Amino acid sequence: MMHPEAGTVAEAQASYRPAELAGAREAVLAARQADTNVLVRGSGSKLRWGARPAGERPWSVIDTRALNRLIHHEPGDMTATVQAGMPLHELQEQLAVAGQELAVDPPRAARGATVGGVYVANDAGPRRLAYGGIRDLVIGTTVVLADGTVGRSGGTVIKNVAGYDLNRLWCGSLGTLALVVEMTVRLHPRPEASRTVLIPASAGDATAFVLDVLASPVECALLEWSAPAPTQPQDPLIMNTNRPHRSISVHDQRGQAGGGGWLLVGLEGRAAGLDARVDQLVDVARRHDLAAEPADGEDGLWDAWREAHAGTAGDDGAEGEAEGETVARAATLPSQLADVAGGLHRAADASGVEARLHSHAGLGLHDAIITGADPAAHAATVTAWREHVCALGGSVVVRDRPDGLDGLVDPWGEPRSAQLVKLSRSVKRALDPEGRFAPGRFLGGL
Amino acid sequence: MVKSELQRDLLDILGADGLVTEWAQRRTYEADGLAAYRSVPALVALPSSADDVAAVMRACVRHGVPVVPRGAGTGLSAGALPHPEGVLIVMSRMHRILDIDPVNQRIVVEPGVTNAAISRAVSEHDLYYAPDPSSQIVCSIGGNLAENSGGAHCLKYGFTTHHVLGCELVLPDGETVELGSSTLDPPGYDLRGVLVGSEGTLGVVTKITLRLLRRPEAVRTLVADFESPAAAGVAVSAIVAAGIVPAAVEMMDNLAIQACEEDAAAGFDVSSGAALIVELDGPAAECDAAFAETVALCQESGSTAIRVADDPQERALVWKGRKAAFAAMGRLAPDYFVQDGVIPRTRLGECLARIAEMAAEADLRVANVFHAGDGNLHPLVLYDSANPGEGERAESLSARIAELCVEFGGSLSGEHGIGVDKACSMPTMFGADDLAVMDRVRAAFDPAGRCNPDKVLPTPRLCGEKPGPYRPHPLEAAGVIERL
Repeated sequence: MMHPEAGTVAEAQASYRPAELAGAREAVLAARQADTNVLVRGSGSKLRWGARPAGERPWSVIDTRALNRLIHHEPGDMTATVQAGMPLHELQEQLAVAGQELAVDPPRAARGATVGGVYVANDAGPRRLAYGGIRDLVIGTTVVLADGTVGRSGGTVIKNVAGYDLNRLWCGSLGTLALVVEMTVRLHPRPEASRTVLIPASAGDATAFVLDVLASPVECALLEWSAPAPTQPQDPLIMNTNRPHRSISVHDQRGQAGGGGWLLVGLEGRAAGLDARVDQLVDVARRHDLAAEPADGEDGLWDAWREAHAGTAGDDGAEGEAEGETVARAATLPSQLADVAGGLHRAADASGVEARLHSHAGLGLHDAIITGADPAAHAATVTAWREHVCALGGSVVVRDRPDGLDGLVDPWGEPRSAQLVKLSRSVKRALDPEGRFAPGRFLGGL
Repeated sequence: MVKSELQRDLLDILGADGLVTEWAQRRTYEADGLAAYRSVPALVALPSSADDVAAVMRACVRHGVPVVPRGAGTGLSAGALPHPEGVLIVMSRMHRILDIDPVNQRIVVEPGVTNAAISRAVSEHDLYYAPDPSSQIVCSIGGNLAENSGGAHCLKYGFTTHHVLGCELVLPDGETVELGSSTLDPPGYDLRGVLVGSEGTLGVVTKITLRLLRRPEAVRTLVADFESPAAAGVAVSAIVAAGIVPAAVEMMDNLAIQACEEDAAAGFDVSSGAALIVELDGPAAECDAAFAETVALCQESGSTAIRVADDPQERALVWKGRKAAFAAMGRLAPDYFVQDGVIPRTRLGECLARIAEMAAEADLRVANVFHAGDGNLHPLVLYDSANPGEGERAESLSARIAELCVEFGGSLSGEHGIGVDKACSMPTMFGADDLAVMDRVRAAFDPAGRCNPDKVLPTPRLCGEKPGPYRPHPLEAAGVIERL
C-alpha cells in the first residue's frame, strides 16, 4: 500500500506547476473552483511529515518546483529574495559566488529539498546552533491564501518591526495555512575556515561535556552526539586521513568506553583564531577525561552526520521510500540528552526494535531512527519513548514512517492544551476558512 | 464613562490597592514614551498575578470594555496609549524572576521585570540577555516582547523574537494559553512568533521564558572618524564584505557628534564629519584577528583617525557618548521629531543625501544617529515650536523621511514599533490585502477587537486624527533613558 500522502499525489484530480506568483494564485483559485483540497509539494522529501491529510473533497496538487528562481541577491545587504520551489543546493551555489550562504544545513538538500519546503517544515541541520533555524533567517514572505488573497509580510531589510511577523507562522505549518511563493532571506558570509573534533563519549559523558562547552566561551557551530556514529571509526572515510596519533585500536577501545556514542564538534570562523579555539575545546574535553581528536579534511563527515538525522530517507534519491523505518524527533532541554537516550534504548529493547539516536546535542533536538520488527513494535517504541520524553517536559513528533504506523500512533502526540488547539483552529479558520490546505495534516486535526 | 459595576468587579479582584480610579492618578498614565499622544484611561488595573490579569480580562469581556496593556511606558510609538473608555493593565507589579536554569541557559520571568535586571540576575553565571534597547535600565521585558525590541547589538545577536522561547498569554477572552516552550520547536504553529512584536494587540503576557547567552570572551571597540557619513558607510560595507559580523556598528553625523560631545564629553572629535563606532565580540582569538582587519579596513576606506577603546572604562565612555545623543539634542534645538526607518545598508549614502536635500528645502536641521550595520536610521528633525509654522514643517519632513525609507525598499520602523504613531503610514509599506491578512490573524486571537484597539493596523477612526509635536518623556528629559 502506498503511503497516504504519496497516494494523494498520485490520485490528485489536478496538478498545477506555477512558475510565477500570478500563476500560483491562479492555481489556488482553480483548485478552489474545482472544489478540491490542496496539497503543496516541493521535492517531496518531507511529504510524509505530519498526520495523514484527510477530507471529503478530491485533491489538487500544487507543485512548486517551477517556482525555482533566485529573484534578487543583494550581496552588500546580505539579503536574497527567492522563489519557494528553488532547490536549496542551487540557491547555495549561486550565493557562494559572492562568498555568502543561507546559513541552514538541513538533511535532504542533496536530493533537491526546496527552500520553501525546508521553511514550511521548519527543517534544520547541525549548524542551527550557530545561526538559528530558517525561521530566524526568513525576513519576508509572499503567500497565497486559499481564497486567492496574496499577502506579504516582513520586508527586504533585516531589521523591521512593521506589522505582524507572519513569517514565523508559515514556518513549520506544513502547507496547512497558505501557499508560500516567495521568501526574502538574511544571508551570512561563508565561514573562512572550519575545524572538526571527534570525541568518543557515552550519553552521560556527552551530556556533561556539552553543558560545559555551552558554558565556555568556545562558541561551537555544531555540537552533535550520535550513537552509533553515522560514520564508524573503521570506515575508510575516517581512517583514510593523515591525522597523527590515530589507530584503530584506540578508536575501538574508546568507542566501547563511550558505549558506542560519539560527539562531533565543529568550529567555524576566521582562520586566524581557530587553532586557539580548538585548543580551548580540547581542554574542556580533557577536563571530562575525554579524548578529542581532530577530524579535519573529511568533507564527507559533516554530510554523513547531518543526513543521519533523516534516516536512510536522506540518502535515497526516490520519493520518501524509506519503507520500514520510523524517524521520530524529540525536543528537550540540552541537559536531558542522557535521559532521552536512555529512554529510547529502554523503549527499543522492550519492543524488540533497533534504534539509533542522532542528537543536535547543543540544541536539545534528538532524532531516533527505528528499524526492524513491524510497525506495531515501532509504534510501541514511539509511545513509550514519548511518554518518557513528555514526562521530562519535552515532546516527540513522528516524521517519516512506514505506512502501517498510521493509526497505531499519532504522529503529533497529545496537544499540550485544549486552549492551544482552540487558538490554532481559530488561526487556521481565519486564514483557510474552507479548510482546503492539507486538512488533517497538522496538530489537532487541522 | 465606565460602568460602576466594572469598577466594583475590578475592586473585588484587585483590591483598592490594585485599582486606580482617581482622575489625577489615572492621568499619570495618559502617555507612554511618545508623549505627543495623550489619553486618560477610564481605569488603571495593577495586577499582581496571572490570575489577576485573567480575571480583569474576563471582567472587561463581561462589560464590553477594551483593554490596553502597558509595561514601563517607555515605548516610542504610542503603543501603550490608553483607551479613554478602557482599562489600562499596568504590568509593573509582576516583576518576579521565577526560575533561572543556568545549565540550559534559560530564565523564566514575569513581564514587569526590567531588561537590565535579567542580565543582572544571571551575571554570576557568566550569562546575559542579549537584546539591549537603549532604555534597558527601565523598560520591561513584557514591553520588549510586545515591540520585538532590538538595540545596538542586534546586528549580531538578533531581536527579542530570537530570544523568547515561550510565554503564558491571557487571551482577549480571558482564557490562558501557553505558547512556545522551554524547548525548541514544540509541536504546533509558531504562535509565539506571531505574538512577539504584536504590540499588545493579541493578549496580555503574564510569564516569559527567555534564552540566555554566554558572555563573550572578548569585546573590542573602536571609534573611527570620517569626512562624511557616506565615507563611513563605505567602511561599513567593506567590513561586511570582508565577512566580519560586528556585534554593533553605530554612526553619528557631525551635528549629532557636536551635541553628544557637549553633553557627555566622551572624546569624540567635533570637527569630524562622521563617527563610526564598531564593536566586535566573541572568542578572544577570533575577535583579535577580526579587529585588526576592521582597523585596516577603516583606514583603507579613508578614516581620518581611529581611537581604540579597549579598557572597560573607555568603552563605557564611548557608549555613554553615543547614548547621550538623544538627551543632547536639547542643546541644538528646543524641539525635535525622531524617525525609526530602515533602509537597505547599501543605499545609505544615497538616502542621507536625499535627507540633506529635503532638510535644506524645508529650511530645517536634521541630525543623524543610526545603527549603521542594519540600516536603521534615527534622523532627528530639529525645530523650535516657538516659531510659527516650524513645528508643522518639521513634522511633515519627519513623515516624509519615514516614507523615503519605504521608497528605498526599507521599513517604517526598525525597533520603535507602529503603535498609533505610524499606523496610518502602514499603507505606504503594505497593500490592502497584506494588511487584511494581518487583520485576519489579529481577529483569530481577538475576534471582538478588544485588545489594544486602533493600534498597528490603520483604521478610518484612527487615521483621521493627527498627532501633535514630539514631547520628551520625563525620563528622557532627565537623561535616564533615551530612544536611539
